[in-house]
Amino acid sequence: MERRLIDEAVAARSLAYDAARPQAVASRHADDHLTARERIAALCDDGSFVEYGVQAQARADASDAPADGLVAGVARLDGWPVVIASYDHTVYRGTQSTINQNKIERVLFLCIEHRWPLVCFADGEGDRPPDQQGGFGMWTGGGRIGLFDGLCELSGWAPTVAVVSGTSLDGNAAIAMFSDFVVATAASTLGTATARLPAQVHEKMGDIDRVVEDEPTAIEVVRRYLRYFLYDLESGDPSPAAGTIASVIPENRRRAYDMRKVIEGLADADSVLELRPNWGTSMVTSLVRMGGRAVGIFANQPLSRLAGAIDSDAADKMSRFIELCDAYHIPLVSLIDSPGFHIGPEAERGGIARHHIRTLLAIEHRSVPLYCVQIRKAYGLGPLVMRGSWGHLPPELRLAWPTVETGGMSLEGAAYLLKRKEILAAKTPQEARAIRDAYAETLRKRESGIRAGNNFSFDEVIDPGQTRDRIIALLRLHRRPEKTEKLTFLDTV
Amino acid sequence: MEGGSVLDQKLIDAVYEARQQSSDAGRPEAVAKVHAGGHLTARERLAALLDPGSEVEFGTLEGKGDRGWVPTRGGVDFVGTIDGHPAVASSTDYSDHGGGYGAGQLGRLFTLAHQNRWPVVLFSDGGGSRAQWLDQSVARFSRLQARYGGGSGFFEALAALAGWVPLAAVISGPSFAGHATLAAFCDFIVSTRGSAIGMGGPPMVEAAFGTRLKPVELGPVKMHEQVGAIELLVDDERSAILAVRAYLSYYHDLPSGKASSTADSIRSLVPDQGAYDMHRVIAALVDEGSFFELRPHFAVSVLTGFARMEGRSVGILANQPQSPNGGAIDSNAADKTARFVQLCEAYGLPMVSLIDAPDLTIRLEDGTEQPGMTRHHARPVRALHHRTIPLISIQIRKGYGFAPALLSGIGTAHRLPLLRLAWPTAELGVKDLYSQGFDDVVDPAETRDRILRMLRLTRRSLPAQRKRRPRDSW
Repeated sequence: MERRLIDEAVAARSLAYDAARPQAVASRHADDHLTARERIAALCDDGSFVEYGVQAQARADASDAPADGLVAGVARLDGWPVVIASYDHTVYRGTQSTINQNKIERVLFLCIEHRWPLVCFADGEGDRPPDQQGGFGMWTGGGRIGLFDGLCELSGWAPTVAVVSGTSLDGNAAIAMFSDFVVATAASTLGTATARLPAQVHEKMGDIDRVVEDEPTAIEVVRRYLRYFLYDLESGDPSPAAGTIASVIPENRRRAYDMRKVIEGLADADSVLELRPNWGTSMVTSLVRMGGRAVGIFANQPLSRLAGAIDSDAADKMSRFIELCDAYHIPLVSLIDSPGFHIGPEAERGGIARHHIRTLLAIEHRSVPLYCVQIRKAYGLGPLVMRGSWGHLPPELRLAWPTVETGGMSLEGAAYLLKRKEILAAKTPQEARAIRDAYAETLRKRESGIRAGNNFSFDEVIDPGQTRDRIIALLRLHRRPEKTEKLTFLDTV
Repeated sequence: MEGGSVLDQKLIDAVYEARQQSSDAGRPEAVAKVHAGGHLTARERLAALLDPGSEVEFGTLEGKGDRGWVPTRGGVDFVGTIDGHPAVASSTDYSDHGGGYGAGQLGRLFTLAHQNRWPVVLFSDGGGSRAQWLDQSVARFSRLQARYGGGSGFFEALAALAGWVPLAAVISGPSFAGHATLAAFCDFIVSTRGSAIGMGGPPMVEAAFGTRLKPVELGPVKMHEQVGAIELLVDDERSAILAVRAYLSYYHDLPSGKASSTADSIRSLVPDQGAYDMHRVIAALVDEGSFFELRPHFAVSVLTGFARMEGRSVGILANQPQSPNGGAIDSNAADKTARFVQLCEAYGLPMVSLIDAPDLTIRLEDGTEQPGMTRHHARPVRALHHRTIPLISIQIRKGYGFAPALLSGIGTAHRLPLLRLAWPTAELGVKDLYSQGFDDVVDPAETRDRILRMLRLTRRSLPAQRKRRPRDSW
């Protein structure tokens, strides 16, 4: 072969690399961003990136558009295959063109074929005018799969992750909204050519899983997230908080506590990744490891504004989390301290009368093992949706801590209703409260703590300190099966 | 034994006597009270719902006590037919010991519904599990729930039924806690004016917040109609029953249907610019008077409902240019769309989508609306991508950016619409219609015929052998 031909190909390729574009690189660094290639390098194992379409460009002479503004290819993360694509802000502000649309669709196809996860750095400003074929890539009508069809197809089949660092508009922002997991940096905005919102506003609407300080942190969070889906570990050390887990629960049964501390105490050291911490806050959803095994924990949060009562957002958050874990066969642990669903006019205006069924539909259609730990309140419908039914699909394990208290509704509430006449006849509010509390205590003694174990409402009332080992022992009995067929897709909300 | 082959008449009489006690005729005072409240009795409800002579009652008698057979309390459970098609139907009876969950046979009927793929209709007014149970131990509470319902057995049964058989609920009166949950599992909830729905009833709310609210202050159905928690609000129970019968009728095709009397006016319904009522376009396209709208007062920028074309049941999805934001799709409209696509998919109805979609919008906390996209907007696109039902889309006017995808999917390699038509009024921000991949640009007057020709090529999908996915409750 003529040497010149080889040299030309290599030279054309190297023009797209950072080393050949010092000014573009400097402008990115000046704005506190990594270049597209630096991001990819930071995300994957050293030297593992295999690029697709490095010489692709809109026109033969388009030296201003290396790789046509999208760096895409296959790489490894801890040895496992992942597909990575990053729009390049230095090329027409990361806009979407015909060629780079074809490129991302090319690697999406690999994800669909091989069940490889997709990570997309989705900052960019939508359509690249006058290139009308870019943008949403719809209605091409041909045989290839489009970007958003591809993202739909991957839903429930292989994990999709979007990173938003900078400005993400129109078709670029849509990539984020179609992805399973979205990380944004604090200074980012999302929107359209005419209207934008800060990442924090989207986070409060449940659109973004994590808002983090900067790009390196975002990349680290993505690496953490993907590892739960890619592999289990043989073992894992308990966290330093494991030994004091019982002390998280206050002695005064009416005082709130932070459920995150319980999760910390149950999970392996430094293994917790909470999803959507600032939305639907009465429910905590976290990916963790227990004994090395990836596990999804969903838990009521007594420390929240609603004291753990499930409102519409929390119901959506929980259902979607169960779907996510179920799609990738990640076992579930539920930590229950539930006063029930949010009630009253405010809750009804939020549509809770119907939203709450999503939790039941999700938990009754799961195919993964579920381990339940009843920590304190088990009132009304609340614990039922956290553990599912006991008939056809019982949880693998129903543990209770000695602090468990059970009832058709809150003990104070039941006491109030049962002693209503006496309470309303009381001369002072203090006296009314005393009557109520005394009867609540009578009710509590009847069925709470160890008595809840006596009637086999639970498999064991356990020392909190033994909870972790008990769950891990059972987890070891389950293998993570290889799913060969896509059974369902995930809801995005 | 002498005379052993002759059944003692007294034994037979005892059954009729016990049955008489639970019949309306056997308790005139209770019946008068129900009527005075503007309601039908549980038995009258089911008589109005089921075809006469088709009904079979389950659980008329609860068991045999010291004094003979004991009638069931708290409700009635039936199987029967509605317009000739089998269905399960149950009603609580508030006048009978405060009402229960049907007559105690609901779990059994849910099993029958699952095995036979029979639709279920629930009259679900009531206050949840009985208040007197609160004083019971948890173990006894569970046993009572297992017996009278409201417990976990019902919920897993209903979860399994969701997306497998059509589920409909009527709420006439207050419906709280367990009763509201039962209804919320259903695909279709129709309620009557003055009714109330809530997760926690007045006693629970009083116990939690210290204020006694009337049911209608706590969860008025007028509000639920606007926030999307019910499909339809009607004047009275008879209208509600008619609505259920009408709703269920779309699960069966008719052999033929008449074109709308307004069909000829279709060219004059859409102006080049400005608002118009999409209802009129739908009315002109579908069989005469056949559009049955679902959630008409929730997320009004999108219209969803069933209709017939040449007798064939179809799901209609459309933007409403006459709505306050001109048909732009916000999170609620996206949710409404996604849920409707799932509903049509679950029960095999082809869809016709009428697109005049100017934008996707985000509603902020202060109530203002601006262009933008949330995760909610991806929901209908995902649902459409995973559909197996035929979809015919008509680009009527605007189709900007991503908005059309929420009504007809993306349609590149997978799940292309069966037919993509555009009207000459189509407005896409691009001059060249051909590049947008429409199958044809048609005269509005040709549209119905085109849709019919394509529908004739497709069969009504047979019931799936396996449930694909529960249709979403929201």
